[in-house]
Amino acid sequence: MIFSQIFETINTGLVVLDKEMCVRHWNRWMALHSQIDSSEIVGRNLFDFFPELNRPHFIRNCRSVLAFGHFCFFSQKLHKYLFPMPPAGSLAEEFDHMQQSCSMGPLRNESGEVESLYLSVQDVSEVVSYQKKLVRMNQTDPLTGVYNRNFMESQLAKEVVRCQRFGHELSLLMIDVDLFKNVNDNYGHQCGDYALKEITRRISAKIRQTDFLIRYGGDEFCCLLTETAPAQSLKVAELLRQQICDTPFLFKEHEFSSTISIGVAGFDENDVDVESLLRKADSALYQAKQSGRNTVVNTAS
Amino acid sequence: MLKSILIVDDSPVARMIMKKCLPTDHGLTIYEASNGQEGVERYFSHKPDLTFMDLTMPVMDGFQALSTIKQRDPDAVIIVATADIQEKVLSRVTTLGALHTIKKPPSKEALKDALERATQALKH
Amino acid sequence: MTAEILNNIFAQDEKDILQEVMNIAFGQASAELAEVIDIFVILSVPDIQVLQGSDLPGYLCRELQTSGTVNIIEQNFLGKFAGQALLIFPSGAEKDLLTLFNQDQEFINNDIDMDTLERETLIEVGNILIGACIGKIAELLADVVTYDPPRLMAKDLCLEDCNKSPVAPDSFVISIRTVFRFEEQNVEGYLFLITNQKSIDWLKKALFAFLESFG
Repeated sequence: MIFSQIFETINTGLVVLDKEMCVRHWNRWMALHSQIDSSEIVGRNLFDFFPELNRPHFIRNCRSVLAFGHFCFFSQKLHKYLFPMPPAGSLAEEFDHMQQSCSMGPLRNESGEVESLYLSVQDVSEVVSYQKKLVRMNQTDPLTGVYNRNFMESQLAKEVVRCQRFGHELSLLMIDVDLFKNVNDNYGHQCGDYALKEITRRISAKIRQTDFLIRYGGDEFCCLLTETAPAQSLKVAELLRQQICDTPFLFKEHEFSSTISIGVAGFDENDVDVESLLRKADSALYQAKQSGRNTVVNTAS
Repeated sequence: MLKSILIVDDSPVARMIMKKCLPTDHGLTIYEASNGQEGVERYFSHKPDLTFMDLTMPVMDGFQALSTIKQRDPDAVIIVATADIQEKVLSRVTTLGALHTIKKPPSKEALKDALERATQALKH
Repeated sequence: MTAEILNNIFAQDEKDILQEVMNIAFGQASAELAEVIDIFVILSVPDIQVLQGSDLPGYLCRELQTSGTVNIIEQNFLGKFAGQALLIFPSGAEKDLLTLFNQDQEFINNDIDMDTLERETLIEVGNILIGACIGKIAELLADVVTYDPPRLMAKDLCLEDCNKSPVAPDSFVISIRTVFRFEEQNVEGYLFLITNQKSIDWLKKALFAFLESFG
């Protein structure tokens, strides 16, 4: 009595399947979220109702549970969900389907033989939504919305490994806003924030989706150009420089112009790690500043 | 009726289990060997009516012992005993000349059936 | 040292039964993986050692004989036979396993990044291999085992730098090691089942009960 009440009222989907994949039990949670009543589905083959489960991966797991009496865990990360169901409430905006963490285990008869299996389904949409939010927060700069330094460090390390392993090209642009302090001093910090946002907007519009724009520090930015040789990245840098200096900035009643200096470095066989690439870009940027700003300098030059 | 059986298995426990499951009322003589090499030697010194052969053994494995014995004595009656009873293993030992294969650990029924098969084979 | 502890804990006949139970369990696991779920894997004859918990990292290092890095999948299991399973693959094996287990490309177009896909594949393959081996041991010894979800304990770990034991340093550990090799891909790995003192008393009784059952 108690166990059957728990079966029906628990906040988890529970399904019992026999060896032929026929549904033996279907609890109310499953009925509620799948819109399929237990009277409709019990006694029928699960795949008649959920043909998408009739795939090698799911069947392999069912068979192994029946053969070895162990448990299988269907992670949300890989599967997203097993049973397509609408997400609850406001999460519908974020997900097409309820995100599920599912597991499967053996059910034995009196002589201890595995006779059927159970599936449990948990709604983890809210957790996944938080995870996504956390990842986003951890990787982006709140003011400009571009990637932050934290993201850059892990991404750059990955890209460098890829370059070393597959001999891909990789270029790094180190970008600094010239005399940015003057913008803050003359028009206030709000205007400074606007300038930073406008600069990232203009740069983002000119780079590819596979490139990464990062806010490295206060008025310093960084651009990771994947699969790009130094000669090509020099052209990109020049384009970005023009984007900033050619069009004046307009904030409230203030019109002002701004420029950027860029140091360009390409990954080559002498670079043993991330630091050496960063050092090269940094010293190129320093030279750009020294030579009067609003300039692009390549390490090679 | 079978008079003698050779059990080739590196595990003393496996040999003990096999002996425990064999019928006791036949007055069978049982020989034992603890690897394939020893199995081949014991086979030719005792010429048992039936040989049970394990597959994974040190020195010489069961596949090699089976093939060595069958090459020198095509009439040898050998039944393979293994836990890893997959299709591929079965077809390989059959090609090498095994009469039959039983799954480890053996049940009394499976052994009874194996002895009957061996008795039939000896008549031919 | 190792042999000494082994001899103190198990008498010769107990060792022999344990070895045969493991031989049968791993043999049956290999057969059923092939017949039931089309996973063709060769499991080597299990090697059983008893060690002090503190000696485990050094032992793993010696046994694996790898200079490179490894991935370790860990899963706890609980029955009368209880402990921890460690499944160890060399780094990079996840790529081959992915080809082996995702032949129908089920997950490729599912906006899942490669890292996650490889990581989750390791965990799922681990779950099946560990479950198959432990399931068969439990069946032979008339035990019923439940499991925690497996997790990736270490990714690209350099064993030589690792001296932290996954178990209490003063505990005894029964290590059951098998090398497994997938036939279709050149992938090898190690499975260690690590069980503790609590299981030993039960295990001894269960081993004799196993032998008695052939009465």
